[in-house]
Amino acid sequence: MITLKGLTKQYNKDTLALDNISAHIGAGEFVSIVGQSGTGKTTLIKILIAEEKPTAGTVEIGGWDISGIRKSDIPFLRRQIGVIFQDFKLLPKKTVQENVSFALQVAGETQHRIHDVVPRVLDIVGLGYKADRYPGQLSGGEQQRVVIARSLVHRPKIVVADEPTGNLDAINTYEVIEILKKINEFGTTVVLVTHNREVVNSLKKRVITLHNGKIIADEQNGKYRL
Amino acid sequence: MVSFLRVIKFAFQDLARNISLSAMTVLILILMLLSVNTLLVIRVLTREAITSIKSQIDVSVYFENAVSQQSIDEVISFVTSFPEVIGTEYQSKEQVLEAFKKTHENDKHISEALAELKENPLGAVLIIQTRDPAEYKNIIDALSVPEYEDIIEAKTFDDTEKAIERIDMITKQVERLSYALTIFFAVIAFLIIFNTIRVAIYTQRIEIAIKKLVGATDWFIRGPYIVEAFLFSVLSTFLTAVIVFFAFRVLDPYVAAVFEQPSILTQYFFSHILLLLGGQFMAVLFLTIMTSFLAMRRHLRV
Repeated sequence: MITLKGLTKQYNKDTLALDNISAHIGAGEFVSIVGQSGTGKTTLIKILIAEEKPTAGTVEIGGWDISGIRKSDIPFLRRQIGVIFQDFKLLPKKTVQENVSFALQVAGETQHRIHDVVPRVLDIVGLGYKADRYPGQLSGGEQQRVVIARSLVHRPKIVVADEPTGNLDAINTYEVIEILKKINEFGTTVVLVTHNREVVNSLKKRVITLHNGKIIADEQNGKYRL
Repeated sequence: MVSFLRVIKFAFQDLARNISLSAMTVLILILMLLSVNTLLVIRVLTREAITSIKSQIDVSVYFENAVSQQSIDEVISFVTSFPEVIGTEYQSKEQVLEAFKKTHENDKHISEALAELKENPLGAVLIIQTRDPAEYKNIIDALSVPEYEDIIEAKTFDDTEKAIERIDMITKQVERLSYALTIFFAVIAFLIIFNTIRVAIYTQRIEIAIKKLVGATDWFIRGPYIVEAFLFSVLSTFLTAVIVFFAFRVLDPYVAAVFEQPSILTQYFFSHILLLLGGQFMAVLFLTIMTSFLAMRRHLRV
Protein backbone atom coordinates (compact mmCIF):
# COMPACT_ATOMS: atom_id res chain seq x y z
CA MET A 1 0.00 0.00 0.00
CA ILE A 2 2.77 2.46 1.02
CA THR A 3 6.35 1.95 -0.17
CA LEU A 4 9.22 4.22 0.84
CA LYS A 5 12.52 3.82 -1.00
CA GLY A 6 15.62 5.73 0.10
CA LEU A 7 13.39 8.60 1.26
CA THR A 8 15.37 11.68 2.25
CA LYS A 9 14.19 15.12 3.23
CA GLN A 10 16.68 17.89 3.83
CA TYR A 11 15.25 21.35 4.73
CA ASN A 12 18.61 23.10 4.71
CA LYS A 13 22.30 22.37 5.10
CA ASP A 14 21.96 21.65 8.83
CA THR A 15 18.47 20.09 8.97
CA LEU A 16 18.14 16.54 7.70
CA ALA A 17 14.61 15.46 8.69
CA LEU A 18 14.60 12.04 6.97
CA ASP A 19 17.77 10.20 6.07
CA ASN A 20 17.46 7.52 3.38
CA ILE A 21 14.58 5.53 4.90
CA SER A 22 12.95 2.55 3.24
CA ALA A 23 9.89 0.61 4.37
CA HIS A 24 6.78 -1.07 3.06
CA ILE A 25 3.37 -0.91 4.72
CA GLY A 26 0.92 -3.47 3.40
CA ALA A 27 -2.82 -3.09 2.83
CA GLY A 28 -4.84 -3.42 6.04
CA GLU A 29 -1.85 -2.99 8.34
CA PHE A 30 -1.89 -0.91 11.53
CA VAL A 31 1.54 0.69 11.91
CA SER A 32 2.69 3.00 14.67
CA ILE A 33 5.56 5.32 13.86
CA VAL A 34 7.29 6.44 17.02
CA GLY A 35 10.21 8.62 17.87
CA GLN A 36 11.20 11.62 19.89
CA SER A 37 10.30 15.14 18.79
CA GLY A 38 12.24 16.26 15.74
CA THR A 39 12.99 12.78 14.42
CA GLY A 40 11.06 13.27 11.20
CA LYS A 41 7.67 11.71 12.03
CA THR A 42 5.63 14.75 11.00
CA THR A 43 7.83 15.28 7.94
CA LEU A 44 6.99 11.73 6.85
CA ILE A 45 3.25 12.46 7.22
CA LYS A 46 3.67 15.71 5.26
CA ILE A 47 5.37 13.81 2.45
CA LEU A 48 2.58 11.21 2.43
CA ILE A 49 -0.05 13.93 1.87
CA ALA A 50 2.22 15.89 -0.53
CA GLU A 51 2.52 18.86 1.81
CA GLU A 52 6.27 18.44 1.39
CA LYS A 53 8.31 16.96 -1.44
CA PRO A 54 11.17 14.57 -0.74
CA THR A 55 14.69 15.72 -1.48
CA ALA A 56 15.61 12.22 -2.67
CA GLY A 57 14.03 8.75 -2.88
CA THR A 58 10.51 7.74 -3.78
CA VAL A 59 7.14 7.27 -2.09
CA GLU A 60 4.51 5.04 -3.65
CA ILE A 61 0.93 4.94 -2.45
CA GLY A 62 -1.14 2.17 -4.01
CA GLY A 63 1.42 1.98 -6.83
CA TRP A 64 1.30 5.74 -7.47
CA ASP A 65 4.70 7.40 -7.19
CA ILE A 66 3.92 10.68 -5.48
CA SER A 67 7.51 11.88 -4.97
CA GLY A 68 7.27 14.14 -8.02
CA ILE A 69 3.50 14.68 -7.89
CA ARG A 70 2.11 17.53 -9.99
CA LYS A 71 0.42 20.38 -8.12
CA SER A 72 -2.86 19.71 -9.91
CA ASP A 73 -2.86 16.06 -8.77
CA ILE A 74 -2.38 16.82 -5.07
CA PRO A 75 -6.13 17.27 -4.30
CA PHE A 76 -6.85 13.84 -5.83
CA LEU A 77 -4.16 12.23 -3.66
CA ARG A 78 -5.51 13.88 -0.51
CA ARG A 79 -9.04 12.67 -1.26
CA GLN A 80 -7.72 9.11 -1.13
CA ILE A 81 -6.06 9.46 2.26
CA GLY A 82 -7.85 10.25 5.49
CA VAL A 83 -5.74 12.50 7.67
CA ILE A 84 -6.20 13.07 11.40
CA PHE A 85 -4.27 16.02 12.79
CA GLN A 86 -3.21 16.68 16.34
CA ASP A 87 -4.54 20.27 16.13
CA PHE A 88 -7.80 19.02 14.56
CA LYS A 89 -7.79 21.45 11.62
CA LEU A 90 -11.56 21.88 11.61
CA LEU A 91 -13.20 24.77 9.77
CA PRO A 92 -14.37 27.01 12.63
CA LYS A 93 -17.20 28.69 10.71
CA LYS A 94 -18.72 25.38 9.60
CA THR A 95 -20.85 23.06 11.75
CA VAL A 96 -19.84 19.49 12.59
CA GLN A 97 -22.00 18.18 9.77
CA GLU A 98 -20.64 20.76 7.29
CA ASN A 99 -17.04 19.97 8.25
CA VAL A 100 -17.58 16.28 7.54
CA SER A 101 -19.60 17.00 4.38
CA PHE A 102 -16.83 19.25 3.08
CA ALA A 103 -14.56 16.25 2.44
CA LEU A 104 -17.23 14.85 0.12
CA GLN A 105 -18.18 18.20 -1.43
CA VAL A 106 -14.61 18.87 -2.60
CA ALA A 107 -14.73 15.49 -4.37
CA GLY A 108 -17.94 16.50 -6.17
CA GLU A 109 -20.19 13.95 -4.42
CA THR A 110 -23.92 14.43 -4.88
CA GLN A 111 -26.01 16.07 -2.18
CA HIS A 112 -28.10 12.94 -1.96
CA ARG A 113 -25.07 10.80 -1.10
CA ILE A 114 -23.78 13.39 1.37
CA HIS A 115 -27.15 13.41 3.18
CA ASP A 116 -27.02 9.64 3.28
CA VAL A 117 -23.42 9.09 4.41
CA VAL A 118 -22.57 11.95 6.78
CA PRO A 119 -25.17 11.24 9.51
CA ARG A 120 -24.12 7.58 9.53
CA VAL A 121 -20.44 8.43 9.95
CA LEU A 122 -21.28 10.94 12.68
CA ASP A 123 -23.24 8.22 14.47
CA ILE A 124 -20.22 5.89 14.24
CA VAL A 125 -18.07 8.45 16.10
CA GLY A 126 -20.94 9.17 18.50
CA LEU A 127 -21.59 12.75 17.44
CA GLY A 128 -24.85 12.46 15.51
CA TYR A 129 -26.65 14.53 18.13
CA LYS A 130 -24.12 17.36 17.84
CA ALA A 131 -24.22 17.67 14.05
CA ASP A 132 -25.31 21.32 14.13
CA ARG A 133 -22.73 22.49 16.66
CA TYR A 134 -19.65 24.48 15.68
CA PRO A 135 -16.16 23.16 16.54
CA GLY A 136 -15.77 25.87 19.17
CA GLN A 137 -18.76 24.42 21.02
CA LEU A 138 -17.15 20.95 21.34
CA SER A 139 -14.59 19.48 23.72
CA GLY A 140 -11.13 18.46 22.44
CA GLY A 141 -12.14 14.78 22.34
CA GLU A 142 -15.31 15.58 20.41
CA GLN A 143 -13.40 17.73 17.94
CA GLN A 144 -10.97 14.90 17.33
CA ARG A 145 -13.88 12.56 16.68
CA VAL A 146 -15.22 15.02 14.10
CA VAL A 147 -11.80 14.94 12.44
CA ILE A 148 -11.93 11.15 12.40
CA ALA A 149 -15.42 11.27 10.86
CA ARG A 150 -14.13 13.68 8.20
CA SER A 151 -11.16 11.44 7.44
CA LEU A 152 -13.41 8.38 7.08
CA VAL A 153 -16.37 9.78 5.24
CA HIS A 154 -14.92 9.26 1.75
CA ARG A 155 -13.91 5.68 2.62
CA PRO A 156 -10.16 6.08 2.19
CA LYS A 157 -7.89 3.06 1.89
CA ILE A 158 -5.32 4.73 4.15
CA VAL A 159 -5.82 6.77 7.31
CA VAL A 160 -2.85 8.73 8.56
CA ALA A 161 -3.07 10.00 12.14
CA ASP A 162 -0.48 12.54 13.26
CA GLU A 163 -0.38 12.58 17.08
CA PRO A 164 -4.20 12.26 17.26
CA THR A 165 -4.16 11.91 21.03
CA GLY A 166 -1.61 14.63 21.71
CA ASN A 167 -4.19 17.09 23.03
CA LEU A 168 -6.53 14.58 24.68
CA ASP A 169 -7.04 13.20 28.18
CA ALA A 170 -6.82 9.46 28.97
CA ILE A 171 -10.50 8.69 28.33
CA ASN A 172 -10.62 10.52 25.02
CA THR A 173 -7.31 8.97 24.01
CA TYR A 174 -8.75 5.52 24.65
CA GLU A 175 -11.88 6.32 22.60
CA VAL A 176 -9.89 7.66 19.65
CA ILE A 177 -7.59 4.62 19.60
CA GLU A 178 -10.60 2.30 19.77
CA ILE A 179 -12.10 4.05 16.73
CA LEU A 180 -8.80 3.71 14.84
CA LYS A 181 -8.67 0.00 15.71
CA LYS A 182 -12.22 -0.42 14.45
CA ILE A 183 -11.36 1.38 11.19
CA ASN A 184 -8.42 -0.97 10.76
CA GLU A 185 -10.62 -4.01 11.39
CA PHE A 186 -12.73 -2.94 8.39
CA GLY A 187 -9.57 -3.23 6.23
CA THR A 188 -8.28 0.33 6.18
CA THR A 189 -4.54 0.79 6.49
CA VAL A 190 -3.78 2.95 9.54
CA VAL A 191 -0.53 4.84 10.03
CA LEU A 192 -0.37 6.24 13.54
CA VAL A 193 2.33 8.73 14.44
CA THR A 194 2.65 9.09 18.17
CA HIS A 195 5.01 9.28 21.12
CA ASN A 196 2.43 7.95 23.57
CA ARG A 197 4.13 4.92 25.06
CA GLU A 198 0.96 3.40 26.60
CA VAL A 199 -0.98 3.62 23.37
CA VAL A 200 1.78 1.94 21.34
CA ASN A 201 2.32 -0.81 23.88
CA SER A 202 -1.41 -1.53 24.23
CA LEU A 203 -1.90 -1.87 20.49
CA LYS A 204 0.47 -4.82 20.04
CA LYS A 205 0.86 -3.95 16.34
CA ARG A 206 3.80 -3.15 14.07
CA VAL A 207 6.02 -0.34 15.34
CA ILE A 208 8.56 1.63 13.26
CA THR A 209 10.97 3.63 15.40
CA LEU A 210 12.62 6.73 13.97
CA HIS A 211 15.68 8.41 15.42
CA ASN A 212 17.49 11.35 13.85
CA GLY A 213 15.64 10.76 10.58
CA LYS A 214 16.58 7.07 10.32
CA ILE A 215 14.59 3.89 10.98
CA ILE A 216 16.29 2.25 13.93
CA ALA A 217 13.69 -0.47 14.55
CA ASP A 218 10.81 -2.05 12.63
CA GLU A 219 9.03 -4.79 14.60
CA GLN A 220 5.77 -6.69 14.29
CA ASN A 221 3.98 -6.66 17.69
CA GLY A 222 6.48 -4.02 18.65
CA LYS A 223 6.83 -1.88 21.74
CA TYR A 224 7.78 1.71 22.45
CA ARG A 225 11.50 1.41 23.07
CA LEU A 226 12.78 4.98 23.39
CA MET B 1 -22.41 22.21 -12.03
CA VAL B 2 -22.75 20.77 -8.51
CA SER B 3 -19.39 22.30 -7.57
CA PHE B 4 -20.40 25.67 -9.05
CA LEU B 5 -23.60 25.74 -7.00
CA ARG B 6 -21.61 24.74 -3.91
CA VAL B 7 -19.16 27.58 -4.53
CA ILE B 8 -22.06 30.06 -4.63
CA LYS B 9 -23.60 28.51 -1.50
CA PHE B 10 -20.25 28.71 0.35
CA ALA B 11 -19.86 32.35 -0.69
CA PHE B 12 -23.21 33.32 0.83
CA GLN B 13 -22.48 31.16 3.88
CA ASP B 14 -19.07 32.83 4.39
CA LEU B 15 -20.64 36.27 3.95
CA ALA B 16 -23.28 35.59 6.57
CA ARG B 17 -20.99 33.85 9.04
CA ASN B 18 -18.30 36.52 8.76
CA ILE B 19 -20.91 39.27 8.77
CA SER B 20 -18.83 41.85 10.65
CA LEU B 21 -15.84 41.37 8.34
CA SER B 22 -18.13 41.45 5.29
CA ALA B 23 -19.85 44.63 6.52
CA MET B 24 -16.49 46.27 7.20
CA THR B 25 -15.22 45.36 3.72
CA VAL B 26 -18.34 46.80 2.06
CA LEU B 27 -18.10 49.92 4.24
CA ILE B 28 -14.47 50.54 3.25
CA LEU B 29 -15.34 50.03 -0.42
CA ILE B 30 -18.20 52.53 -0.07
CA LEU B 31 -15.93 55.09 1.59
CA MET B 32 -13.39 54.63 -1.18
CA LEU B 33 -16.05 55.02 -3.88
CA LEU B 34 -17.45 58.10 -2.13
CA SER B 35 -14.03 59.75 -2.18
CA VAL B 36 -13.77 58.99 -5.92
CA ASN B 37 -17.24 60.44 -6.44
CA THR B 38 -16.33 63.54 -4.48
CA LEU B 39 -13.49 64.07 -6.88
CA LEU B 40 -15.91 63.53 -9.74
CA VAL B 41 -18.17 66.29 -8.38
CA ILE B 42 -15.18 68.61 -8.14
CA ARG B 43 -14.32 67.83 -11.77
CA VAL B 44 -17.90 68.41 -12.95
CA LEU B 45 -18.11 71.73 -11.12
CA THR B 46 -14.66 72.79 -12.33
CA ARG B 47 -15.60 71.99 -15.92
CA GLU B 48 -18.88 73.87 -15.49
CA ALA B 49 -17.06 76.88 -14.05
CA ILE B 50 -14.49 76.86 -16.86
CA THR B 51 -17.21 76.62 -19.53
CA SER B 52 -19.09 79.43 -17.86
CA ILE B 53 -16.00 81.68 -17.76
CA LYS B 54 -15.05 80.85 -21.34
CA SER B 55 -18.56 81.58 -22.62
CA GLN B 56 -18.34 85.08 -21.16
CA ILE B 57 -15.22 85.94 -23.14
CA ASP B 58 -15.65 87.39 -26.63
CA VAL B 59 -13.99 89.92 -28.93
CA SER B 60 -15.68 92.78 -30.71
CA VAL B 61 -14.77 94.08 -34.15
CA TYR B 62 -15.74 97.74 -34.68
CA PHE B 63 -16.37 98.73 -38.29
CA GLU B 64 -15.62 102.14 -39.77
CA ASN B 65 -18.71 104.32 -39.86
CA ALA B 66 -18.68 104.82 -43.62
CA VAL B 67 -18.06 101.22 -44.61
CA SER B 68 -20.59 99.57 -46.93
CA GLN B 69 -22.87 96.72 -45.87
CA GLN B 70 -21.30 94.57 -48.60
CA SER B 71 -17.85 94.95 -47.01
CA ILE B 72 -19.30 94.15 -43.57
CA ASP B 73 -21.02 91.00 -44.93
CA GLU B 74 -17.71 90.00 -46.52
CA VAL B 75 -15.96 90.24 -43.13
CA ILE B 76 -18.78 88.34 -41.36
CA SER B 77 -18.64 85.59 -43.98
CA PHE B 78 -14.83 85.46 -43.66
CA VAL B 79 -14.99 85.22 -39.84
CA THR B 80 -17.70 82.53 -39.75
CA SER B 81 -15.69 80.38 -42.17
CA PHE B 82 -13.24 79.64 -39.34
CA PRO B 83 -14.05 76.30 -37.67
CA GLU B 84 -13.03 77.63 -34.26
CA VAL B 85 -15.76 80.33 -34.41
CA ILE B 86 -18.83 79.01 -32.60
CA GLY B 87 -20.96 82.17 -32.75
CA THR B 88 -21.21 85.74 -34.03
CA GLU B 89 -23.53 88.58 -33.20
CA TYR B 90 -23.83 91.47 -35.64
CA GLN B 91 -25.07 94.86 -34.44
CA SER B 92 -25.87 97.41 -37.15
CA LYS B 93 -24.94 101.11 -36.84
CA GLU B 94 -28.51 101.89 -35.80
CA GLN B 95 -28.56 99.18 -33.13
CA VAL B 96 -25.23 100.37 -31.78
CA LEU B 97 -26.52 103.96 -31.63
CA GLU B 98 -29.70 102.85 -29.85
CA ALA B 99 -27.69 100.88 -27.32
CA PHE B 100 -25.32 103.82 -26.83
CA LYS B 101 -28.20 106.20 -26.26
CA LYS B 102 -29.79 103.82 -23.80
CA THR B 103 -26.57 103.42 -21.87
CA HIS B 104 -26.08 107.19 -21.66
CA GLU B 105 -29.70 108.31 -21.40
CA ASN B 106 -28.98 110.04 -18.11
CA ASP B 107 -25.92 111.83 -19.46
CA LYS B 108 -27.18 115.22 -20.62
CA HIS B 109 -23.95 116.24 -22.41
CA ILE B 110 -23.81 113.11 -24.54
CA SER B 111 -27.49 113.36 -25.43
CA GLU B 112 -27.00 117.01 -26.54
CA ALA B 113 -23.86 116.17 -28.52
CA LEU B 114 -25.69 113.38 -30.33
CA ALA B 115 -28.61 115.67 -31.10
CA GLU B 116 -26.28 118.22 -32.70
CA LEU B 117 -24.84 115.59 -35.00
CA LYS B 118 -27.05 115.02 -37.98
CA GLU B 119 -25.59 111.61 -38.86
CA ASN B 120 -24.94 108.51 -36.81
CA PRO B 121 -21.26 108.75 -35.81
CA LEU B 122 -20.98 105.14 -34.73
CA GLY B 123 -20.04 102.11 -36.79
CA ALA B 124 -21.45 98.57 -36.79
CA VAL B 125 -20.05 95.96 -34.40
CA LEU B 126 -19.39 92.24 -34.80
CA ILE B 127 -19.10 90.17 -31.59
CA ILE B 128 -17.20 86.92 -32.10
CA GLN B 129 -17.11 83.83 -29.87
CA THR B 130 -14.69 80.95 -30.34
CA ARG B 131 -14.54 77.43 -28.83
CA ASP B 132 -11.53 78.37 -26.76
CA PRO B 133 -10.23 81.77 -25.67
CA ALA B 134 -6.80 80.83 -27.01
CA GLU B 135 -8.25 80.81 -30.54
CA TYR B 136 -9.17 84.50 -30.57
CA LYS B 137 -5.65 85.43 -31.57
CA ASN B 138 -5.94 83.42 -34.82
CA ILE B 139 -9.14 85.28 -35.79
CA ILE B 140 -7.73 88.69 -34.91
CA ASP B 141 -4.50 87.95 -36.80
CA ALA B 142 -6.55 86.91 -39.82
CA LEU B 143 -8.45 90.21 -39.67
CA SER B 144 -5.28 92.28 -39.29
CA VAL B 145 -4.50 92.33 -43.02
CA PRO B 146 -4.19 95.40 -45.29
CA GLU B 147 -7.47 94.80 -47.17
CA TYR B 148 -9.45 95.15 -43.92
CA GLU B 149 -7.51 98.17 -42.64
CA ASP B 150 -10.05 100.61 -44.09
CA ILE B 151 -13.05 98.57 -42.97
CA ILE B 152 -12.22 97.71 -39.35
CA GLU B 153 -11.71 100.60 -37.03
CA ALA B 154 -10.74 98.67 -33.89
CA LYS B 155 -10.71 95.31 -32.15
CA THR B 156 -11.13 94.83 -28.39
CA PHE B 157 -8.74 91.92 -28.39
CA ASP B 158 -5.71 94.07 -27.71
CA ASP B 159 -7.24 95.10 -24.38
CA THR B 160 -8.38 91.68 -23.31
CA GLU B 161 -5.53 89.60 -24.70
CA LYS B 162 -3.71 89.40 -21.40
CA ALA B 163 -6.88 88.59 -19.46
CA ILE B 164 -7.75 85.82 -21.93
CA GLU B 165 -4.24 84.41 -21.72
CA ARG B 166 -4.46 84.43 -17.95
CA ILE B 167 -7.86 82.71 -17.85
CA ASP B 168 -6.63 80.18 -20.35
CA MET B 169 -3.59 79.48 -18.21
CA ILE B 170 -5.67 79.17 -15.01
CA THR B 171 -8.20 76.80 -16.59
CA LYS B 172 -5.41 74.62 -17.96
CA GLN B 173 -3.77 74.50 -14.53
CA VAL B 174 -7.08 73.62 -12.87
CA GLU B 175 -7.62 70.81 -15.40
CA ARG B 176 -4.10 69.51 -14.79
CA LEU B 177 -4.64 69.60 -11.03
CA SER B 178 -7.90 67.73 -11.47
CA TYR B 179 -6.15 64.99 -13.48
CA ALA B 180 -3.37 64.76 -10.89
CA LEU B 181 -5.97 64.44 -8.12
CA THR B 182 -7.76 61.71 -10.07
CA ILE B 183 -4.56 59.69 -10.35
CA PHE B 184 -3.77 60.32 -6.69
CA PHE B 185 -7.22 59.15 -5.59
CA ALA B 186 -7.04 56.13 -7.91
CA VAL B 187 -3.76 55.06 -6.30
CA ILE B 188 -5.22 55.53 -2.80
CA ALA B 189 -8.35 53.60 -3.82
CA PHE B 190 -6.22 50.75 -5.17
CA LEU B 191 -4.18 50.59 -1.96
CA ILE B 192 -7.30 50.65 0.23
CA ILE B 193 -8.98 47.85 -1.73
CA PHE B 194 -5.78 45.83 -1.87
CA ASN B 195 -5.28 46.08 1.88
CA THR B 196 -8.94 45.43 2.75
CA ILE B 197 -9.10 42.24 0.70
CA ARG B 198 -5.65 41.16 1.89
CA VAL B 199 -6.72 41.49 5.53
CA ALA B 200 -9.99 39.65 4.82
CA ILE B 201 -8.09 36.77 3.22
CA TYR B 202 -5.35 36.80 5.87
CA THR B 203 -7.94 36.23 8.61
CA GLN B 204 -9.04 33.10 6.74
CA ARG B 205 -5.59 31.75 5.90
CA ILE B 206 -5.91 28.78 8.28
CA GLU B 207 -9.25 27.77 6.77
CA ILE B 208 -7.76 28.01 3.29
CA ALA B 209 -4.93 25.68 4.35
CA ILE B 210 -7.38 23.21 5.95
CA LYS B 211 -9.50 23.12 2.79
CA LYS B 212 -6.37 22.33 0.79
CA LEU B 213 -5.40 19.52 3.17
CA VAL B 214 -8.86 17.98 2.90
CA GLY B 215 -8.45 17.76 -0.88
CA ALA B 216 -10.05 20.92 -2.26
CA THR B 217 -8.69 22.24 -5.54
CA ASP B 218 -7.44 25.84 -5.77
CA TRP B 219 -10.53 26.79 -7.79
CA PHE B 220 -12.90 25.25 -5.26
CA ILE B 221 -11.27 27.42 -2.59
CA ARG B 222 -10.97 30.55 -4.72
CA GLY B 223 -14.52 30.30 -6.10
CA PRO B 224 -16.37 31.57 -3.03
CA TYR B 225 -13.95 34.49 -2.71
CA ILE B 226 -14.61 35.48 -6.33
CA VAL B 227 -18.36 35.30 -5.75
CA GLU B 228 -17.92 37.32 -2.54
CA ALA B 229 -15.86 39.90 -4.45
CA PHE B 230 -18.72 40.15 -6.94
CA LEU B 231 -21.28 40.58 -4.16
CA PHE B 232 -19.10 43.16 -2.37
CA SER B 233 -18.76 45.09 -5.65
CA VAL B 234 -22.51 45.02 -6.37
CA LEU B 235 -23.41 46.05 -2.83
CA SER B 236 -20.82 48.81 -2.50
CA THR B 237 -21.53 50.29 -5.96
CA PHE B 238 -25.29 50.24 -5.43
CA LEU B 239 -25.15 51.77 -1.93
CA THR B 240 -22.64 54.39 -3.10
CA ALA B 241 -24.93 55.31 -6.02
CA VAL B 242 -27.86 55.77 -3.62
CA ILE B 243 -25.78 57.95 -1.27
CA VAL B 244 -24.36 59.99 -4.18
CA PHE B 245 -27.82 60.51 -5.69
CA PHE B 246 -29.23 61.91 -2.44
CA ALA B 247 -26.10 63.99 -1.85
CA PHE B 248 -26.50 65.49 -5.36
CA ARG B 249 -30.14 66.29 -4.65
CA VAL B 250 -29.09 68.14 -1.50
CA LEU B 251 -26.19 69.95 -3.20
CA ASP B 252 -28.00 70.95 -6.41
CA PRO B 253 -29.77 74.09 -5.06
CA TYR B 254 -26.44 75.47 -3.79
CA VAL B 255 -24.72 74.71 -7.10
CA ALA B 256 -27.63 76.25 -9.00
CA ALA B 257 -27.22 79.48 -7.06
CA VAL B 258 -23.64 79.79 -8.37
CA PHE B 259 -24.05 78.61 -11.96
CA GLU B 260 -27.62 79.85 -12.55
CA GLN B 261 -28.52 76.45 -13.92
CA PRO B 262 -30.81 74.02 -12.08
CA SER B 263 -29.94 70.38 -11.18
CA ILE B 264 -26.45 70.31 -12.72
CA LEU B 265 -25.32 67.42 -10.51
CA THR B 266 -28.51 65.35 -10.70
CA GLN B 267 -28.59 65.81 -14.48
CA TYR B 268 -24.96 64.72 -14.66
CA PHE B 269 -25.77 61.70 -12.47
CA PHE B 270 -28.58 60.52 -14.76
CA SER B 271 -26.83 61.32 -18.03
CA HIS B 272 -23.74 59.37 -16.90
CA ILE B 273 -25.46 56.69 -14.80
CA LEU B 274 -24.21 53.76 -16.87
CA LEU B 275 -20.67 55.06 -16.91
CA LEU B 276 -20.78 55.89 -13.20
CA LEU B 277 -22.30 52.62 -12.00
CA GLY B 278 -20.76 50.38 -14.64
CA GLY B 279 -17.31 51.94 -14.52
CA GLN B 280 -17.10 51.96 -10.75
CA PHE B 281 -18.53 48.43 -10.49
CA MET B 282 -16.07 47.05 -13.03
CA ALA B 283 -13.15 48.85 -11.37
CA VAL B 284 -14.05 47.58 -7.88
CA LEU B 285 -14.74 44.06 -9.19
CA PHE B 286 -11.45 43.94 -11.09
CA LEU B 287 -9.49 45.22 -8.10
CA THR B 288 -11.17 42.93 -5.54
CA ILE B 289 -10.77 39.80 -7.68
CA MET B 290 -7.20 40.67 -8.64
CA THR B 291 -6.19 41.41 -5.04
CA SER B 292 -7.91 38.30 -3.69
CA PHE B 293 -5.98 36.24 -6.27
CA LEU B 294 -2.70 37.87 -5.27
CA ALA B 295 -3.43 37.65 -1.53
CA MET B 296 -4.51 33.99 -1.70
CA ARG B 297 -1.58 32.78 -3.75
CA ARG B 298 0.76 32.32 -0.80
CA HIS B 299 -1.90 30.71 1.44
CA LEU B 300 -2.70 28.15 -1.26
CA ARG B 301 0.86 26.81 -1.25
CA VAL B 302 -0.03 23.95 1.12
